[in-house]
Amino acid sequence: MELSEAYQFGMIIAMGAAFITFLGFAREKRDLHRLVISDMVAGITLVIVAIVGTDLAECLILPTLVVSVAEVLAIAEILIHKEELKLREEGVIISTPNYSPLGIEVFQSSSIIVALILIIYGAILTGFTGGAVAGVGMVYYLLTRWDGKITKDFWDGISSVSGIAWTLWLVGFLLFFIVPEFWLFALFLSGGGLVVKVATKFGLIGIEGRDSMRGES
Amino acid sequence: MKWMDKAWMILSDPKELPKIFAISILFVFFVGILLNYPYYPDQLYPKSFELSGLYPYDRGGTPLKEPAKIVAQYPQNSEMIGWITSYLTPFSSWLASKTLYLGTTIVSHPGGIVDEILYYTRGLDTVLESSIMMMAFLIVGFLIKLKRGG
Amino acid sequence: MLEGIGGEILGVIRFGDIVPYITPFTLSMFILALTLTVLLALAKPENQILMVFGKDKYSLIKPTIEEMKFRRFMVIVCGLALSGAMITGDLFNFTLFVTLVGITNIGIIAAVRRPYVLEAAFQYGLICTLASLPLFGAAAIVLGTAGTLSLHELETLSVLPMAKILLAFGVAGETGIAPFYAAKAEVFRAPGAPYILMVHLSAIMVVIRTAEILLLL
Repeated sequence: MELSEAYQFGMIIAMGAAFITFLGFAREKRDLHRLVISDMVAGITLVIVAIVGTDLAECLILPTLVVSVAEVLAIAEILIHKEELKLREEGVIISTPNYSPLGIEVFQSSSIIVALILIIYGAILTGFTGGAVAGVGMVYYLLTRWDGKITKDFWDGISSVSGIAWTLWLVGFLLFFIVPEFWLFALFLSGGGLVVKVATKFGLIGIEGRDSMRGES
Repeated sequence: MKWMDKAWMILSDPKELPKIFAISILFVFFVGILLNYPYYPDQLYPKSFELSGLYPYDRGGTPLKEPAKIVAQYPQNSEMIGWITSYLTPFSSWLASKTLYLGTTIVSHPGGIVDEILYYTRGLDTVLESSIMMMAFLIVGFLIKLKRGG
Repeated sequence: MLEGIGGEILGVIRFGDIVPYITPFTLSMFILALTLTVLLALAKPENQILMVFGKDKYSLIKPTIEEMKFRRFMVIVCGLALSGAMITGDLFNFTLFVTLVGITNIGIIAAVRRPYVLEAAFQYGLICTLASLPLFGAAAIVLGTAGTLSLHELETLSVLPMAKILLAFGVAGETGIAPFYAAKAEVFRAPGAPYILMVHLSAIMVVIRTAEILLLL
């Protein structure tokens, strides 16, 4: 198939998919389901960008994906918060359901070296994917072995590390244009900053997940 | 003008708004299915398919010796264009010489065409994208903190 | 065409493929956005007094300092994103700036702990997520059919009307203008006056800038 034919065909499919999804969204009344459908909309956006089929399109996928993930993340938390506040105003006492923990054995017996390998491999990879791999390593460690509590200071500290890593990346970006001769240094500054930034965020989300898994608030 | 009263009433309810937005754009997508989309033949950053350790992301060049040839929008604005594309860490080039499948993970190794575009020629996009993620994370973090009462 | 709409180009900033440009039009909008950001960042937040209807009573709503700090930070980021959107010279970059404005708007609203405000914030967030499809879809269609994203090149090329319509829809949803305005209007009842202004202002200025881009395409 010619590229132009493929593009035409793909666009028709994408537009049809968008039509169906928006129709489904318009018919849906429950908030949670609407949230899920809006995530599907983001998937179709990715298709429309990816159809262009060049290296540039491949790179534009990343911002598009992150934007949709960010928006869904934010409004999902707002939804939880909103429903809780509503229940509290109605006088319903929200209690975590009473259950005995599953006590999955592998959580205690798993070897910690897996986490170490993941973190080291993530550091070698650098960039978004490296950050994700290292982050999974951190989550693995936090879920299985770490017993500490999140205090305010701890949360703030980890977020600050993430923020500082982000500024490192900004420095890298500016170096590319101020001193182009240092491109290799700037590349590693950018990649390294990203690893730390993504990994720390994964870690924080991991702790949050662990606490709700164990039924603690 | 009863219908107008009704329309204003519907528009004034925040709960109905996403639905109205979805319905109003449905027509556009319906027209979109019937349209003709002419594909521009000379795209920027085109793909090429050479069988090597970096397939399908091999754009030529040798690490630290010779830059790759990149079709950018404004090559004159990026002086060192092509160097990042051709760069591979010693570990990655060792892997590339051993296997044909390194290309599938080139996104995550330092160097390569994707890093060139993401960090260098369109770096501002990536800066913005990460700030969007950071803002979402801040909102979530703030709401969780409120919930924990800290 | 660039000269025709915004006046003569006074200068460009070269960030690789993304070339923000300064004309009298974009420069004045840029300065306006920055000035308002500085003013709002320095302004003191209000305390809201609610009168109880039919009785001789009132209640004073005092937002916490924590909340106000968070909202002020969101306002500053929103203002910076806004001024960036005014001078950017790349279509995809513009859509990202608009999304950043949208998500910080949600952030300004979401910090308020009131069910009706959070309800409105959630609905506005849903529209934002839906609007990311027409917004990024428009940029991707322009890239696919015209072969470039730079506004400097696009002024001489013709673009599918479809892309223009999608861009207009995307910006309308992302900033929540006229027909989809109620979600934002609900928010203005919330305490915290000066920061709410940013939600207004960003919508207006982004729409003006979008008008320039639509004329140019």
